Amino acid sequence: MPIEYIRSVLGIFGESPFKPVHTHAQKAVEAVHKLNMAVDAYCHGDYITVETLNTEIFAIEYEADIIKQTIRKLIPSSIMLPVDSNDLLSFLKPQDSITDNAHHTAHWLTLRKMKLPLEITEGLLELMERTVKTVDAYESTVDEIAKLLETSFSKKEIKRILKMIPIVEELEHETDITKKQLQQKIFDHEDELGGTGVFYLISLVRDIGNISDSADTAADRLRTMILRR
Amino acid sequence: MDFFDPILLAVIVAGLYMAWNIGANDLANSMGTSVGSGALSIKQVIIIAGVLELVGAVFFGDKVTSRIAKGIVPIDEIMAVDPDLVVIGSLAAIAAAGFWITLATFYHMPVSTTHSIVGAVTGFGLVATIYVDSFSIDQIQWLVLAKIVISWLTSPLIGATLAFIIFTIIRIFLLGRVSDPYNLEKKFIYLQILSACFVALAHGSNDVANAVGPISAAFCAAGVTTGGVVPEWVLAIGGIGIVIGLATWGWRVIETIGKNITELTPTRGFSAEFATALVVFFHSGISIPVSTTHTLVGAVVGVGLAGGLEAVDLSVIRKIVTSWIITVPVAALTSMIIFVILIEVL
Repeated sequence: MPIEYIRSVLGIFGESPFKPVHTHAQKAVEAVHKLNMAVDAYCHGDYITVETLNTEIFAIEYEADIIKQTIRKLIPSSIMLPVDSNDLLSFLKPQDSITDNAHHTAHWLTLRKMKLPLEITEGLLELMERTVKTVDAYESTVDEIAKLLETSFSKKEIKRILKMIPIVEELEHETDITKKQLQQKIFDHEDELGGTGVFYLISLVRDIGNISDSADTAADRLRTMILRR
Repeated sequence: MDFFDPILLAVIVAGLYMAWNIGANDLANSMGTSVGSGALSIKQVIIIAGVLELVGAVFFGDKVTSRIAKGIVPIDEIMAVDPDLVVIGSLAAIAAAGFWITLATFYHMPVSTTHSIVGAVTGFGLVATIYVDSFSIDQIQWLVLAKIVISWLTSPLIGATLAFIIFTIIRIFLLGRVSDPYNLEKKFIYLQILSACFVALAHGSNDVANAVGPISAAFCAAGVTTGGVVPEWVLAIGGIGIVIGLATWGWRVIETIGKNITELTPTRGFSAEFATALVVFFHSGISIPVSTTHTLVGAVVGVGLAGGLEAVDLSVIRKIVTSWIITVPVAALTSMIIFVILIEVL
């Protein structure tokens, strides 16, 4: 436009922070799926792939950070949202941790090369499978926010989304059980693994566990945000 | 003084310029919401708005026009002394309002054409007391002016309340019950087209006065028109000017708004537009000039308060209030200065 000879009401429409919130959740899913591939590659001794995936996850984490900053900028005090803006921010934080934790784990994988006993490999792959399921279920829940907004928080939609959150929590619980069993197995193999090996694997498992923990916390905060409006 | 008197022609030109501005920005704003929700294309909006704006102006625009022409400043008193003063005063008022609107638009200030013209006309009334001995400040209809100013505050509030109620009803009885809300939105497109038509009609009935109020006063003083009523062809001049404004520049404003308001889905758009049109049309009926744009802003906030919008930026309200406070005195003062200059020169 050559000269902006415009007086408009456009300013009254703030930019929605909810769309970037969903994009941010999708970044978490992307990162966790890549981490799953990285763990698989690690178990098969394909360390080059692990390195590549680590770089990719690092880039995703950076993108997620940018999105998070954008969302924060979108909600100054003058913006009226259909939910409490503090609730939105406190739900965004654990959602951001999902990607952060995936990145920490991927980085940890690059630090030490080791051959794993079959039982540990199986345990790790199972743990990752459950983690992916948890995060996927979490993302499906976040995806429902669009419909919640479209119906302007209809009782039916609220009910629907509130039924999805316990699914995430149930999956997280199962992941947690797998994690504990795997930790036990690591100590069962302590002679074979050595002290450093045990330390390395226990940390790895803890990092993986943090991912679904974050998804669980985020789902819980999402529920708070919906119920408190 | 006949129709082709240069001062009278200047009043018409200035009035048309004002009308162009109203079409280019204010009408465009009111119609842009329908494009944003995808209810109408830009071409359709221009045709619909053009026809209904004209209908609103010609058939329902007389009351507010006559209020601006002689309801605030009783021109009969001044005409009795010197009709030329009214013609010059009308020119000063419309020029001052046009000047202020031009400036405000370049600086993207949410200034209302209604506020500008009311301020400018009041300025003419004030300065006329200096030139006409028999005309005193007490004769300016302060009570009417107070009623108008109060309605500037209440119209966005009523707009917000109505929009809140309309959207809440839609939310509870429709959005909360249907299985596919997106399908409901599609159906609401038709209702939104109706509400867009209503907005154009209401806008024409109220805002045409901002352009032709002073023209009407000048014609009356010059003896071009006789009797108390505002002739339809005078209203038509304003209506046509507004439509030209919409067609030559307003489409760009609509395009900009349409592109950026994607959140205003048909159910939300309908609620905001219907509330705005009701409020504005009601005020046309009781001869009160109100700002359509400000009422629309109020209505959007109402939809937001009902939980219908993903984000509403309330900082705009402060800007509107500020520009509202500045507009009336600035337009009045400019109008007074132009009047004095014209009197001295002519």
